Amino acid sequence: MTLFGDDNYPRRQFPCGRTRRECVWDMGIGFAGLALTSLLDSDSFFVDKVGAAEKSGSGPLAAVARHFPARAKACIFLTMNGAPSQVDTFDHKPELTKYAGKQLPADREYINSGGRKVGYLTPEWRPFRRGGESGQLISDYFPNVRKHADKLAIVNSCHTDSHAHGSALVAVNTGKTFIGRPSLGAWCVYGLGTENQSLPGYVVMLDKRGGPISGQPNWSSGFMPSTVSGTLFRPTGDPILNLRGPAHVTREIQREQLDLLQQLNEQHLGTRKGGTDLAARIESYELAWRMQSEAPEAVDVAKETKQTLDSYGIGKEPTNEYGRNCLVARRLVERGVRFVQLYSGGGHLEDTWDAHESIEKNHGKHGAEVDQPIAALLTDLEERGLLDSTLVVWGGEFGRMPFSEGKDAPGRNHNPYGFSMWFAGAGVKGGIRYGETDELGFQATTNPVHLHDIHATILHLMGLDHERLTYFHQGRHESLTDVGGRVVSGILA
Amino acid sequence: MAVFRCSIIGIVVFHLATAAFAEIDFDRKVAPILVKRCLECHSENTAMGGLVLTTRSGLLTGGDGGSAVSVTNPADSLFLGRITAGEMPPEQRGQSRQLPADEIRILTEWVNEGSVWPDGRTLDLFETSSEVRAGRDWWSLQPVVRPPIPATVPGSQNPIDAFVTDTLAKRGFTSAPRADRRVLLRRLYYDLIGLPPTYEQTELFIADESANAWEKVVDSLLDSPHYGERWGRYWLDLVRYAETCGYERDQEKPFAWKYRDWVINAFNVDMPFDQFVIHQLAGDEIPNRDVNSVTATGFLMLGTWNDEPNDQQDYKYERLEDLVHTTSSAFLGLTVKCARCHDHKFDPIPQVDYYRIASAFWPGPIEPRDRKLVGGPSVDELGITEVLGWTDLTAAPLPLHVLKNGSRHTPLQVVKSAPLTAVPAMFHEFDAAPPGSGTTLRRLQLARWIASPDNPLTARVMVNRLWQHHFEHGLVQSPNSFGFRGAPPTHPELLDWLAVDLISGGWKLKRIHRLILNSETWMQSSLHPRHDEYSQTDSSNQFLWRANRRRLDAEALRDSLLMVSGQLDLRIGGESFRPTISAEALEGLSRKSSAWKASSPEAQRRRSIYIFMKRHLLPPLMTTFDLCDTTLPNAQRDVTTVAPQALALLNNAFSHDQSTTLARRIMLLATSSRERAFLAWRFALGRDATADELTLAETHVNGQSARVTAGRQQRTSAAVAWRVPDSTIPTRDLVFHVRADMGIVKDKVGRVLKWSDQSGADHDASQSKPDQRPVLIDDAASGLPAVRFDGLRRFLDIDGQLLETATCSIFAVVTDRHDGGHREIISNWKRGQNVSSSMFLGLTSDDQVRFTDSFSNAGRIADRKQPFVLSAINSTQAISVFQNASKLGQRESGLPNRKLGTPWVIGQQGDINGEFWNGDIAELLVYDRALSVSEQHQVWSVLLNRYQLPTSVRTVNVDESNPDLLALASLCHVLLNSNEFIYVD
Repeated sequence: MTLFGDDNYPRRQFPCGRTRRECVWDMGIGFAGLALTSLLDSDSFFVDKVGAAEKSGSGPLAAVARHFPARAKACIFLTMNGAPSQVDTFDHKPELTKYAGKQLPADREYINSGGRKVGYLTPEWRPFRRGGESGQLISDYFPNVRKHADKLAIVNSCHTDSHAHGSALVAVNTGKTFIGRPSLGAWCVYGLGTENQSLPGYVVMLDKRGGPISGQPNWSSGFMPSTVSGTLFRPTGDPILNLRGPAHVTREIQREQLDLLQQLNEQHLGTRKGGTDLAARIESYELAWRMQSEAPEAVDVAKETKQTLDSYGIGKEPTNEYGRNCLVARRLVERGVRFVQLYSGGGHLEDTWDAHESIEKNHGKHGAEVDQPIAALLTDLEERGLLDSTLVVWGGEFGRMPFSEGKDAPGRNHNPYGFSMWFAGAGVKGGIRYGETDELGFQATTNPVHLHDIHATILHLMGLDHERLTYFHQGRHESLTDVGGRVVSGILA
Repeated sequence: MAVFRCSIIGIVVFHLATAAFAEIDFDRKVAPILVKRCLECHSENTAMGGLVLTTRSGLLTGGDGGSAVSVTNPADSLFLGRITAGEMPPEQRGQSRQLPADEIRILTEWVNEGSVWPDGRTLDLFETSSEVRAGRDWWSLQPVVRPPIPATVPGSQNPIDAFVTDTLAKRGFTSAPRADRRVLLRRLYYDLIGLPPTYEQTELFIADESANAWEKVVDSLLDSPHYGERWGRYWLDLVRYAETCGYERDQEKPFAWKYRDWVINAFNVDMPFDQFVIHQLAGDEIPNRDVNSVTATGFLMLGTWNDEPNDQQDYKYERLEDLVHTTSSAFLGLTVKCARCHDHKFDPIPQVDYYRIASAFWPGPIEPRDRKLVGGPSVDELGITEVLGWTDLTAAPLPLHVLKNGSRHTPLQVVKSAPLTAVPAMFHEFDAAPPGSGTTLRRLQLARWIASPDNPLTARVMVNRLWQHHFEHGLVQSPNSFGFRGAPPTHPELLDWLAVDLISGGWKLKRIHRLILNSETWMQSSLHPRHDEYSQTDSSNQFLWRANRRRLDAEALRDSLLMVSGQLDLRIGGESFRPTISAEALEGLSRKSSAWKASSPEAQRRRSIYIFMKRHLLPPLMTTFDLCDTTLPNAQRDVTTVAPQALALLNNAFSHDQSTTLARRIMLLATSSRERAFLAWRFALGRDATADELTLAETHVNGQSARVTAGRQQRTSAAVAWRVPDSTIPTRDLVFHVRADMGIVKDKVGRVLKWSDQSGADHDASQSKPDQRPVLIDDAASGLPAVRFDGLRRFLDIDGQLLETATCSIFAVVTDRHDGGHREIISNWKRGQNVSSSMFLGLTSDDQVRFTDSFSNAGRIADRKQPFVLSAINSTQAISVFQNASKLGQRESGLPNRKLGTPWVIGQQGDINGEFWNGDIAELLVYDRALSVSEQHQVWSVLLNRYQLPTSVRTVNVDESNPDLLALASLCHVLLNSNEFIYVD
């Protein structure tokens, strides 16, 4: 815990002890764009004025400046719900072959999640091969991603605080194992706003099989205003709720309604000068009108070329769904959305990456669903020049054990002690590996990276200082990383 | 090095300079610096580097580096050296914390003069407030004393006005004029009961010329049972009220709603606030305990509860934190939880105090136990059935230790249960429970300490909450934080005056409401002639020079919409209802199919406080309008203005339903469009429309009526393009086809023994048991026959296997007369074989189409008692479901693998012996592939023509076929979206 006393830690504050931005937030959107900009500009909290000059639109989600210059304007978080096995994907452990059939040495302590059977050390289920000039080892569950090995910074030494899906998912999203805190995407939008006011700043796309365990708290704004919470997007048709009224309300009919509404509202406003709340609501109806056409357009992939659709594997199984989501993610990032989260795996057990029954069966299935789409996304972003300004993060809520769940049992149990995530794109040093697990892939030993560190690094890459990005709540300056977190500088370009 | 040299010079200079001055005042000069700068790390319980600076002997003894001051050579003291070198206090987050020069000078002089320290004086980190933290002398911890009422401005009768006017006058401000009576009445209704006054109520009040007209209406609303619904809801936010556990299973906490009703009732009967506190914390421990007081302890059971925590033992301490935090936030406005791992960084709350409070909850059901208990006591332990309550499980719990850094692996000393030390005059350790007591009585003693008239926080915090909800902001603008990090009171004397008044008035809240509502301060207009000028110095209206215009909160908005449409059901209390939530909004759940079952439309007309609060599924309409999260106590909701709110009010079905219902209500009362517009204003906005407004409205309604008519004609002509009279059904891959006008074989009592397949695939349907056979009704389907299944265990077995893969198209011409529960048209479900991978088509209790378990919310059917065509098409890439030719639902992935080799039946869920169809089936077709769009049109063309059905189900809706109604609904919709409706002046 660190002292946040004013004299110890420079932070210009309102009399209530809150930063200017927090106070602006509290008042809601009730600001015309100019007022908001000038308030934020005059706040030393925002060091870099470049972002503010680029801001578009007004309101609480208006794009705002960063703590320091950074290349990433957007982040795509490819969330592998259910926890992929590191030793079968991105963390090659030849020693497992050597010790196959033996038990994990007794000195390695762990919690046996779910009290499952403890089996024997088991080598990777599919071979690892070298990819790219960097020759990074990636397994055959990700043959297409492997072609991008030179873009990836693979962090092999991740560790987290829970071995149970529910709390670990919440942790990978919010930093804490309990629900109620703002998620990573919410913090990014809180810190940076977003660049397209007709779309949400933080978009979440779920797997068709269901949401992640613990549901909405995974993309919640927690104690921050709901404006920064994740918005569920469906990849086809109307992506968000309430974009369309009953069938008889045509666009023409609705325009008539809005015109009368604005007339009545202007009349109402005429006798109520002072304050900005009424004017802001009038503006919000016009924005809503625009969103009705722009939001469906953002997910309409019909305009994409056949070549693009094919590259993502859209229109064929098993890649259709995740391919479509990845393509929509690119379209959203193109349109200025700040944070996009794509879940692979939904619901429970084998519908997710939770490979208790069989690594080969489970990862074979889910890997085939996402490998081509992810690879296509990286290619597509690169070809469009978007990879320079887009951070791509891949990972699950924890890893899996290097041993099986019984004799000849082909699955693996949960492992929060060591697992892999990877980064690519804006500000990331590609073709490298950071940190190590022990010789068995059981536990992070060299340069361990806690989830707080992952979060600090993502914020850093987005131009935000995880220690300065705070929200004052109930007497405390809350932050994503709380009292922990350090930027993993080893993966920065 | 340069710094060091300068310091040396400085010391020398000051040393020489000070010789001429008197001895430094320790208490006034030195102690505040030591407390502020050093004791954080150098108190007895922290003693960093072994150094303790709370006593002189500590200073002389020093720490690991030896004596801190040298008596013989003061200038050479380690203490001064570290300070002047800027090493102490240590830098933090890369920022130097070197002391300001004047503080260094004072300490230097003091040490050089022999570090004089009054005998027996022990410093204490919490003794005094400073620029960096609050001490026990913090304003909110001082006794509440009734301050004198300022000599009032003439005419001011109400003490509130005296205090507020006085504060304004000091700034040269004057109050806004009083708002007009119409504005006041609407403000009052929303303020006290959360509903708008009707036009008649408003006119009656305006016409009431009696001197006490205002007092009468205030009193009547305070007596209204809806007062408790409005003000109880604020309390529910504070105590993180919800009815489920959160986390993976998000299971229901049975009878949580009884706590909600207890709160509503407590407000309505004006339960003294001290009793309100005691019942919630210790309703099981009070001498006159009863079912109501135990219900109140639901307060302690409302938090989230994780049945699968990472570590069961750690989780106990998380639960303690929730209980300590909610208790201290709600009643004391302090963040005691910050002291879980260390002394509070900003408030005089040592770490041990956290555990003292926590020990009150320690004997409760916080150990991991049977999941069914959802973290609470069993019925036997609680001693009362059908209540969500709390009680100690033992009168002699294991000791609770202070935990170093909050970790149970590093226990420190055992704590004795006690209140906070921040109010020394009230501190005493709690007594042990008398022999024979079933509980420890710790919570009761804690509750009595909180509810004591001597407690400086309780009354201040509560009157501030009342003030907050009357004025939008509290006198302390951080209602849950009366400590260092909170906002100072804008009107400290007024706050104290009200707190004293609350206590001396027997802790009755309605007295305070009455006082506030009868003040000129509350009755001010929200407009001030000098708005722009005053805003320059007080833009947020802290000093109350006008009323704050306020947006309706989520509950008031939803309730008002129902109210003006005439649908609001005002019954008080009882079980919660589940609002309809769109299939799209349900997608975020990890367990989709079993997740949500909406209540009947009638039940959904109740007030919003009765919405079932499921932590994983707070209703989107409500959260869009800032309904708060239910995880942590919430003292003040956000008030945002964002486009999704506009989208919700413009497009949401609920909102349209209210507009249409209001329009229908108006059409029963008036015939001309001008009269109707006139009534629309009265109902929606509670006032008479102006002539200009009526003209606008008439133009709008006439125009919309024409547009609706034109639009419908367009849609109709577009829809009939494919609907031709001479179409035939495709026969390729048709594997099953029964129609009630062909191939029926009846038994001797006239029941349907066999229904022959017309597809040529010989999948005849039959029933061997006579009493389970359906009947044939000759003219059930638009004059054609249909097989009637009456829900009384009638069904037919189909010969052979219909499908090899899940790719298929099913068409059924049916009616549905069932209410509630699942029912199936066709199914191959078989126990033990394909329980979650069978193929079937049916309806849910919510009238949603269920095309297998995988797509169980495929859209709600309409007009289900009339014949309709239900179609379900599954390709490998998508599923589409239609009623007639209207698409009900679709998704962009096909059905997952199905097990298809089990027997097929018509009229129930496979062999489950249940979920029987209750309605007619006139015709049923199954193809073993996905038909193309043009083939679908062929089938529909035939079926819709044969049974004389409309192409689109929507057009059969009487409402939608009436352009006048829709045009008037459009006007109503505009009014219900208007700022005049959404804001309260």
